[in-house]
Amino acid sequence: MNAMTRKEYLLLQKKKRRHLMGVFPAQYPKEILWAMNVVPAEIWDPPLQTTAASAHLQSYICSVVQLGLELVLQGKGDIVDAFLFPHTCDSIQNMASVIFDYIGAHKPCYFFYHPKAPYSTAAREFYRQQLRDLADSLSSQFGPLDPNLLREKVAQGQYIARLLEELYQLRAQNRLGITNVAFYELIRRGEYLFPDDWAPELEKHVKQKKESGGNSQVPILLSGVLPNPAELLKLLDELQVLVAHDDLLSGSRRLLVPGNDFKDPFDQLTESYFSMPPCSTRASSMERRRNYLFKLIETTGARGVLFDIVKFCEPEWFDIPSLQESLKERGIPSLVLDTELNQGLSGQMSTRVEAFIETLHKV
Amino acid sequence: MSMYQTARYHFMKDVGAPALLQFQKKRKRKHPGIPNPHLGPPLKCSGRLREIMTRHYFLSRFAPGAKPVAWVTSGAPVELLRAFDFYTVYPENHGALCGARKMGPELCSEAENRGYHPDLCSYARIDLGTAFSGKTPTGRLPRPDLLFCSNNICQTVLYWFKALSHYWDIPLILFDTPYNFEDIREHDILYMARQLEEMIPELERISGRKFSETRFQKIATIARDSATLWGEVLATMKNRPAPMSIFDAFVHLAPIVSLRGLPVALEYYKILLDELQDRVHQGIGAITNEKKRLMWDNIAIWFKIRDWSLLFAERGFNFVAATYTNAWAETIQYLDPRSPFESMAKTYGLVILNNNLNHRLELMARMVKDYQVDGLVVHSDRSCKPYSVGQYDLKRLLSERLGINAVVIEADMTDSRAYSEEQARTRLEAFFEALESEA
Repeated sequence: MNAMTRKEYLLLQKKKRRHLMGVFPAQYPKEILWAMNVVPAEIWDPPLQTTAASAHLQSYICSVVQLGLELVLQGKGDIVDAFLFPHTCDSIQNMASVIFDYIGAHKPCYFFYHPKAPYSTAAREFYRQQLRDLADSLSSQFGPLDPNLLREKVAQGQYIARLLEELYQLRAQNRLGITNVAFYELIRRGEYLFPDDWAPELEKHVKQKKESGGNSQVPILLSGVLPNPAELLKLLDELQVLVAHDDLLSGSRRLLVPGNDFKDPFDQLTESYFSMPPCSTRASSMERRRNYLFKLIETTGARGVLFDIVKFCEPEWFDIPSLQESLKERGIPSLVLDTELNQGLSGQMSTRVEAFIETLHKV
Repeated sequence: MSMYQTARYHFMKDVGAPALLQFQKKRKRKHPGIPNPHLGPPLKCSGRLREIMTRHYFLSRFAPGAKPVAWVTSGAPVELLRAFDFYTVYPENHGALCGARKMGPELCSEAENRGYHPDLCSYARIDLGTAFSGKTPTGRLPRPDLLFCSNNICQTVLYWFKALSHYWDIPLILFDTPYNFEDIREHDILYMARQLEEMIPELERISGRKFSETRFQKIATIARDSATLWGEVLATMKNRPAPMSIFDAFVHLAPIVSLRGLPVALEYYKILLDELQDRVHQGIGAITNEKKRLMWDNIAIWFKIRDWSLLFAERGFNFVAATYTNAWAETIQYLDPRSPFESMAKTYGLVILNNNLNHRLELMARMVKDYQVDGLVVHSDRSCKPYSVGQYDLKRLLSERLGINAVVIEADMTDSRAYSEEQARTRLEAFFEALESEA
């Protein structure tokens, strides 16, 4: 699987008679898709030039949305059988409506609204119903949902959660022996691999763990939407920096908390949603976000936090001042980068990162 | 609540506020405005509106300690808070006021100096700037006991109120409204209704008052009647000439946003409607020579209202419809005080910005016909993504379907730094030419 590109892998899945679902960021119950033999192919930062999307979107809309729409307009999503739009933010919400109502995706479109914090008691019942509704609507295209298969896939999701937890722990101890670039390539393969293929890859890395990690690298936390531009991770590798953990929307903020065991898989999925790490797109309180960062810093020994924030990402940018202030109060250095996806790192940005890392050496 | 602060509040209500209004009236008489030949006679009601809003902001200063104070988003079901006698302040209304007074950049900078990015919503930056600096054209805004927010207008208000909640360490209550990608579903309504019911113990705790369903129903009735009247006010613009313009409506919107559910809003719209109906009978228009009728999409550009009302009036163009002003009337038919929770869920869950873009397209197409609209001005508002994303297609589809001229203006509702006069004028001149060349 490793040698295959994302596209080759997805085409192979079609040959295997699996269905493909193009999924926009960020939060959705992938176990339901797995149980219906559907491979979710997440659309975060397709490597495209934005040309056609500019006719539909203003320049002040973030590049996640610009690139996602571009993918649809250029027909690059033609291999998928359907699209799923989780309700992540205003821009993704409206992009979904632009595609569904105005442009036409020429594919079935599904939508998934998840409740926002602070949660009411009614939110749990609503979320459970949302899961059932999604399963019902998918069944008209992909066939009925087999409850046993769902149970199996929920268990598989839990197993993957445990593997990821272990991987992140090993990463923090620098016992994986792989670069930042390689680590996030592995994590990001979960954006399109079927669990039957992803779990063995994760297992392999867990088994290959080293007995002890080196301590020559500077550990930091990476926060933001996703690890892009790729040049940032390369630069961190060059600077002998270890991304010891992350607070990324595409990364640890979607990690399930392993260990729960509900008889009803829908109950399990509901519990998973409400026990996820805090996230700006779910409007988690500043206190929860701050405490989560502090916990990660404590457990990983990170010396600073690098916020890699996508330009025009409202949910992220609103939280930054309070988070930075909280970190400052604890004497933890942080740096905020205002980045565009796939645009590389400017010389000025690289210099800022280098200067920031230099200060961490002194911490 | 403190006895001293309660007594002070009532003193200001009974003595201070009337004295202030008297003083303002005298000052206004000394400096009457100069009539413009392109504009019809000003609405007589405007004075009354000024009194109501001045009094509202003035008394808000004395509310803390006398009444529980809440800051509320414009789309939140405030009727529930009124049942607990909250004094409510609307940061969006305050933002609009700051924008109209051209204070947007100054207050936004206050938030930016604290790390808030200049790309963020300018209402939010103004409000956070006010919270941090205390600067406001209203004298002083009261510090709230509660933040009450609904994401039926945007998710931004939630992020913004979360920041306020953290800054002041006060509770935030959210009315979470599932976005209607397609039709609203029964379990959406149930979820929203249950949230309202669940808020009651928390509101009782914060306000120290017991909930009364009868009182809630009375307030819902007032809110429904006020919003219905507001809809009738807007509908007077179906007449030719329209007795008011959307620029007037942007201003006269304040009570239905900020004082919804209070008798003063109901009384005000009765007076306003009477005056407008009278103007219709007499053939008095908002502008003296109404040649073309326009529709506005999105929030107003508050710092350009005065300039643009003259700019368009000079050419005989009158704005007679707007999706923005319509938003506070559009779903009011769902509100049934006999079942306030469920009906309120529907009323607030179906507002324009919580609905898919197909709904907006159909609504605008209907409004173009109902109001006999000749042209469309689309404000692409940098601050408001849910209102703005999709507008390019909306403009194209409406132009193709209905054959009307349309123009997109890139701007911001309050931050004039994100507005280019030259670019806007160039686009508007081309739009004016196209409109004037029509038969």
